[in-house]
Amino acid sequence: MEPRIVDITEKFTAACKGLDIGQLVKDEYFTLFESIGAVEIMDPQMDSGFLQPGETLEDDYDPLTPILPEELIGIMDQLLCYEMAWHTGSPLSQTLFTSIHIDRLLWPEPKTLEEAQFYRGKIEDDRRPGVLLEVLRAYCLALVKGCDFVIAKITSRDYFEEEDFCTNTYNRVLFVQIPPDVFQRELDAAIELIEESAEIDESLRDAIITRLNFRKSLLTALDIEMPLDMNFPLDLDRPYSLLSSTWSPVADSLPHIITTHELAKPVTDAFSTKVQRRLASTVPPRPIVQFEFTKALEALKLLCVDCQEATRFLQIPHDPIEYLSFLWAFASRDPTPLTYSRSYLGAIMFSSDIIQAPGALPFEDLRSFVFTENSAILDPSLRALSPPLNPRLPKPPGLQLVEILDTFVDRAIPPYFDLWVALGQNKCRLRRMLTHVIHAWDALQRDAEAADAKLKIVCEAMGIGHELMENPLTTWVYIKKLWMIEKVILLGFEQEIHHPDEYAGMYFFLAQIASKRGMALIECLHLLHGTQSSYPKPPSRPPPSIPPQSDLSTQDPPPSESTAPTSEPTEPPAAEPISPPFTTEDFPLLKIQPYPTSSSTTTPSQSSNGQTPTPQTTYLLTLLCRATATCALASALHTFYATLRRIDLLPNPHHALGTPQSRQEARMKPFLTLTPEEVPRDIHRGCLLRPWGPYDERSDVFGDEFDVNSPLWDTFDAYMEVGRRSWGEVKQAGAQGGKAKGSEIAWKKEIDDLYVTFEVLRRGLERLRAASSIREPRCAPGDSMDLEVDWKRGGHTDGRENEGWLVARVGRVFFVEADGTRHLANNVMVWDGECFVEGDLGWMNL
Amino acid sequence: MSTTEPSVSAPKVEGDLKYVQYHGSKEEIFLPSIRQLISKDLSEPYSIYVYRYFLYQWGDLCYMALDSQNKLIGVVVCKLEPHRSGTFRGYIAMLAVQESYRGQGIATKLVCKAIETMAARDADEIVLETEVTNTASLKLYERLGFIRSKRLHRYYLNGNAAFRLLLYLKEGVALKRPGDGVDMGMGMQPRIEEYRGFGPTSSQEETTATSESVT
Repeated sequence: MEPRIVDITEKFTAACKGLDIGQLVKDEYFTLFESIGAVEIMDPQMDSGFLQPGETLEDDYDPLTPILPEELIGIMDQLLCYEMAWHTGSPLSQTLFTSIHIDRLLWPEPKTLEEAQFYRGKIEDDRRPGVLLEVLRAYCLALVKGCDFVIAKITSRDYFEEEDFCTNTYNRVLFVQIPPDVFQRELDAAIELIEESAEIDESLRDAIITRLNFRKSLLTALDIEMPLDMNFPLDLDRPYSLLSSTWSPVADSLPHIITTHELAKPVTDAFSTKVQRRLASTVPPRPIVQFEFTKALEALKLLCVDCQEATRFLQIPHDPIEYLSFLWAFASRDPTPLTYSRSYLGAIMFSSDIIQAPGALPFEDLRSFVFTENSAILDPSLRALSPPLNPRLPKPPGLQLVEILDTFVDRAIPPYFDLWVALGQNKCRLRRMLTHVIHAWDALQRDAEAADAKLKIVCEAMGIGHELMENPLTTWVYIKKLWMIEKVILLGFEQEIHHPDEYAGMYFFLAQIASKRGMALIECLHLLHGTQSSYPKPPSRPPPSIPPQSDLSTQDPPPSESTAPTSEPTEPPAAEPISPPFTTEDFPLLKIQPYPTSSSTTTPSQSSNGQTPTPQTTYLLTLLCRATATCALASALHTFYATLRRIDLLPNPHHALGTPQSRQEARMKPFLTLTPEEVPRDIHRGCLLRPWGPYDERSDVFGDEFDVNSPLWDTFDAYMEVGRRSWGEVKQAGAQGGKAKGSEIAWKKEIDDLYVTFEVLRRGLERLRAASSIREPRCAPGDSMDLEVDWKRGGHTDGRENEGWLVARVGRVFFVEADGTRHLANNVMVWDGECFVEGDLGWMNL
Repeated sequence: MSTTEPSVSAPKVEGDLKYVQYHGSKEEIFLPSIRQLISKDLSEPYSIYVYRYFLYQWGDLCYMALDSQNKLIGVVVCKLEPHRSGTFRGYIAMLAVQESYRGQGIATKLVCKAIETMAARDADEIVLETEVTNTASLKLYERLGFIRSKRLHRYYLNGNAAFRLLLYLKEGVALKRPGDGVDMGMGMQPRIEEYRGFGPTSSQEETTATSESVT
């Protein structure tokens, strides 16, 4: 059919005259996204066809221009830079696709690999590419195939386009149909060509061959068909057929590439933004992304190391908890793994080698928490029971039991692996996805409650009710859910989501959640140990490990309730008495000693009856100690920040808009609908009442409270003691005891980092206490304290994060440099009527 | 604000400025300078359609700070519409103040005026994004009461991360669910922008512009 062309210019111009300036003619589908994608014709920054005076549309560079060996190295290294720029998030259009050589290979689309040349069709003999261009062609072909593999791997997993990675190829086909061995042969041929080229200087030849071999090994490592180690017969045709050995040859070639980079001579003309004009793109041409060679090599090294690490997932103990430890450690790696590395691990963790049957891992996880090793409830022989021939007769209880558990485990599979998926995301997404996963687990908890009720009836009918703990399935779900809430809070600190005036509240919330998790773990331990155990008892009979509140409340009567702000008339706390200062009422877990006080108690490493504890007991006790340490440290930090606010060392802003309630609601949104209710209703002010009483009414009680003899210091000491001892138990049990054998290095680092955090906090508290000792009594809060807060993340002096434990450094300002740098005193001492301070440079007399 | 930011070079003090609501009929007068002012802080320009997308539909949520010669000193551009979460969500899209005038609270005033108008139109919440390194912007909003609700990885074209800032204007917003926003209460529907022509304007455009906001 003849194409019909209708000239609408006149009609269009006439129609435009009917519009006001600024009037937008649009349908409801023209969204902000479309408006951002719109371009203005004749705007040089938006109109891809706009030519500046004298500018040509196409590039002048002829990819058949002969190149020198050093120029070949220059182009190869430049391509590598762009490849890594792409890996770190830039689009192909601004990186690799600016290469005129690559553009010519891919467009017009070649039907065969033979057709993919720097020219199309026939060519005169004297223009035929020489050896060096042939070598460049082989390098480019393998590079492009590698990109195809990368895109295939990343798109096979959950990722976020543009945020994580740009998979857009602008309608260019990256040799999808051609198998990798063809490219390997091209590279082999190129190596031969170079080896035979005696006229090339040896060092240059060597550098070129190194780059070709690097490309070979990288293509092998990226191969999406590469089988996993397990159950794989060694294939002699593939030199690195074992997954875990594919990355070291790539990494090994990097040092030589770095040392020979000085031979490279850049060919800037071989790259141009103009190529973008011919790509199928919705955005105007953008500048080429400049990515330095050293940065590119760092990124490449990171890629190798992280992928190599990911292959270890196949070798760690086949245990769901071990897997989870590994995944968490991988997500926490610093620097954070590239998108490709995360997808690479994703492909391994969701492979059939790991997940043999979808329910197996969730079931094993469940079992390790709430059923004993040889529980009659899990008796495999029950599975052999057959249903009665008459379908109207009830099934035997044993069979019903199996069905209840199987149904529940099936139900748990999606939320269980949602957590794994979340752990494969970038860290910002991880935090947000976890809040969604928490809701999936919250819904699962409803189903667990129903299943628990059925389970109880069936087990009692079978006479094995004594082997069933109270609500096992619910308890397991709850423990997991609480753990995720803790992680979301800690990630919030790590990602600087929380404002300093929220610190006290968020650490208070964290301590409460950790306390609840610890209490639930105690329920599990009860099941394992039955009646003969001496492990922690429920909170009804607490051995006091923290100064009991009664002692303290006699010294420090709680501030009168009448002074509390009563902005929320419906709020129950208005009617209930405010907790006395320094109470552990908020964190029942801290009333319990999860670690030994005498030889008769159970610890993760030693059992009550002298026998070696089972791995299950060790693991649960380790978890309990972790929860206790978390709770204690968070409580200490809550009190620390509440105190700092109290003495005006932290901002106590009065916001022009919104209310404390609406701010708290916005902050707690992810957790507000959980069942049971997790968010303390009055947390926005309640946590600040502890230990200090109503915040705005502090002035008259302040002087006495913030005193060197204040019971506050005993509370701190107690929190720190509980925290350090619990953490000591975690360390004692080792990575294996905590089921983190497969990620032992990360485990060790976490142990050490938290000790540092404890130490930094201890020193901060000491300084606060020292300052309080030389303060004039009963002065206005903060006035003569002369203290300042300096932020150090988790005690790392280099500012690195330590999983969200944020400790402010406190000290007296004793020296201000000309440039305004303020030095804080680490310690203050009064001696013979004179004041001395200890700074980073030692003791000084003020 | 004025204590922390340099204001030495400010040629005029804030007191000389007037704050004016935008109106579509003023596009020819103000849009070129709005674009110029906003573009200064952008690595790549927005097309005119981005500005028109906001100003045509929510011109009354745009406020300008003008000096005595009607020169544009600062501007804020917003939108307000039902969000899929079920809330009626205000969004601060652009905010800029001429460099020599910074540090005098002009941006804060512009933002407050826009939020006031959105609150009057029954907005539940106000959100925006800002670069994690933009401390001036973070300070401005956090002083007003915004919290950081999310960190957004590689949010900007330059690869930088952003914070999503959030302010609830009411209580109970967090518990709203999809579908809640369809009926805005009292039988009021969310505003559907319908073009009725800017037409010749009265002398008090800035006050009349609000009258078309709710039908």
